[in-house]
Amino acid sequence: MRPFEYVTATSIETARQLLGANGHYLAGGNDLLGRLKDDITEAVRLVNIKGIGALRHIEPGPDRWQIGALVTIAEIEDHAELRKIFPGLQQAAAEVGSQQIRNVATLGGNLAQHSRCWYYRHRDIQCLKKRGRICYALEGDNRYHALFTGNVCISPVVSNLAIALTALDATAVIWRDGQERRLTMAELYELAWDNPTAHHSLRPGDLLLRVEIPTKRPRSAYLQVSEKHSFDWALVSCAAAARLENGRIYDARVALGCISPVPHQVAAANQFLEGKPLERDVAEKAADLLLTGAEPHEHNAYKIPMARALIRRTLLQLGT
Amino acid sequence: MDWFATNRTMKESDNPSVSQLSRREFFKGLGTTALAAATSQAQSVAQELRKLQAEKVFGPGAVPVTLHVNGKIHRLEVEPRVTLLDALRNHLGLTGSKEGCDRASCGACTVWLDGRAIYACQKLAIDSQGHEITTIEGLAPNGQLTPVQRAFVDRDALQCGYCTPGFVMSVSALLRKKPQPTPEEVIHACAGNICRCGTHPRIVEAALIAAGRPAASTPRTEVISYG
Ligand SMILES: Cc1cc2nc3c(=O)[nH]c(=O)nc-3n(C[C@H](O)[C@H](O)[C@H](O)COP(=O)(O)OP(=O)(O)OC[C@H]3O[C@@H](n4cnc5c(N)ncnc54)[C@H](O)[C@@H]3O)c2cc1C
Ligand code: SF4
Ligand code: FES
Ligand code: FES
Repeated sequence: MRPFEYVTATSIETARQLLGANGHYLAGGNDLLGRLKDDITEAVRLVNIKGIGALRHIEPGPDRWQIGALVTIAEIEDHAELRKIFPGLQQAAAEVGSQQIRNVATLGGNLAQHSRCWYYRHRDIQCLKKRGRICYALEGDNRYHALFTGNVCISPVVSNLAIALTALDATAVIWRDGQERRLTMAELYELAWDNPTAHHSLRPGDLLLRVEIPTKRPRSAYLQVSEKHSFDWALVSCAAAARLENGRIYDARVALGCISPVPHQVAAANQFLEGKPLERDVAEKAADLLLTGAEPHEHNAYKIPMARALIRRTLLQLGT
Repeated sequence: MDWFATNRTMKESDNPSVSQLSRREFFKGLGTTALAAATSQAQSVAQELRKLQAEKVFGPGAVPVTLHVNGKIHRLEVEPRVTLLDALRNHLGLTGSKEGCDRASCGACTVWLDGRAIYACQKLAIDSQGHEITTIEGLAPNGQLTPVQRAFVDRDALQCGYCTPGFVMSVSALLRKKPQPTPEEVIHACAGNICRCGTHPRIVEAALIAAGRPAASTPRTEVISYG
């Protein structure tokens, strides 16, 4: 790592001021330190935000829960009540990295982490995402890459929590230009759909404060398929959330990870599920709608049948 | 995560499932006695640090860093970019924690931060201030092996031994939280530790023996099916 300055902020306002022009917020450091070690990111200064006590709480509520950006993934995984209210979020948290990572990694850092594309993460490769001229994955090895994109970069969003929170229709509350702004999960990532250099829609200096999750979908589930049994990124991940009445699905939302630069959602699939019985055929029809228009590359066509199976399994899990 | 030290030492009442005698032996074995004794001191140091260091810019050159390791307070001069692992190994001479990948991927560097397993390679030393760090050297301060260490020896749960300190820290952290884990819970807790020599089945056995519930290890193969 190259030398940098270090400062601990104790409030939201001072964190922003201390950041200056080329500083980075430091939460758990799992992503940021990896990038600094590999010279992917330059930093003049790290602003440790873990001194901001206000971002550290899980606050249950009847209509919605608030989870602070500094809550660790292990705290989400181990929260007994959260596990009952948002089982899909708990399952997504339990699959993140390893115990050592979950003990340190924060919700905010997980949502704001950068692409894991191996060309992007290579210290000697200057791809499009690093403001170079071409995407190396398109012609190179793209086995872990996306089936959908709105630009040339085919690096997918890999945050487990983003997928679960999208299905649960969470709102991300951020601090931007001196005030709170509320973003849907789609808005939190939409910039990455159009802009190959973006990983999410946060601008330099934006601070994620918390997410707010409505409790109106008591059923939720998250499943992923990886090459290894544990401590592995998902090849494809799927989260679903809904309300069930007499075996019928209401307010359903399905989101897929690792197949698009944004959490992949299709409004037509969610609408199709409204009022339908929770059955295999219905889940398969929803999967068709979710995967329409998928564009596989040389090495990632396997993701289509894998996603189809995951959508079906995740939806059926809502009934168990 | 608490940036400033809090007392994470497990209270006896947190843990009703263990019998009086074995419970005392268990915690003594894990070195929590040392942690408990140092806790009040650590808290006052943390408070002091908080006042002195908040919103003050440090570096990029070497700056004073105070670390609380294995019950002792150490004052170092290191640059903000120095990782906790490098501070432990190169500045404090605690070479029990190993460097494998330096990328949060192998577990050889596993230590405890306030009793929880973390990768020392992916944490800055300056960001570890105000926390209680426990390394493999601090597990058995009186020179007596802990039940976990003894079980690793008994089950011959190592070959070259490079990964072993990290595994022992992960298993011991699990047993502090869950004194009677299932094999699946051991596997989940150790997923972030990798053994190049392939001793995983023995490690799971050793963990279960240390927890007083030996069971045949269950190596698993998963078939990815698209159906
Ligand atoms: C080996 C390995 C395996 C992993 N496996 C998985 C996995 O399976 N699934 C998964 O989802 N993730 C996985 N991860 C990623 C890991 O979960 C993230 O790196 C971690 O959650 C980041 O959180 P952090 O608190 O450590 O963030 P940091 O590294 O501190 O920050 C990450 C980025 O977010 C910014 N940031 C942090 N907090 C805020 C905030 N509040 N507001 C605005 N910006 C902020 C930082 O400036 C930085 O750019 C893995 C990581 C590693 C190293
Ligand atoms: S997929 Fe994106 S991140 Fe990967 S090489 Fe192409 S442009 Fe770079
Ligand atoms: S050296 Fe820290 S995880 Fe490998
Ligand atoms: S015993 Fe050699 S790496 Fe584990």
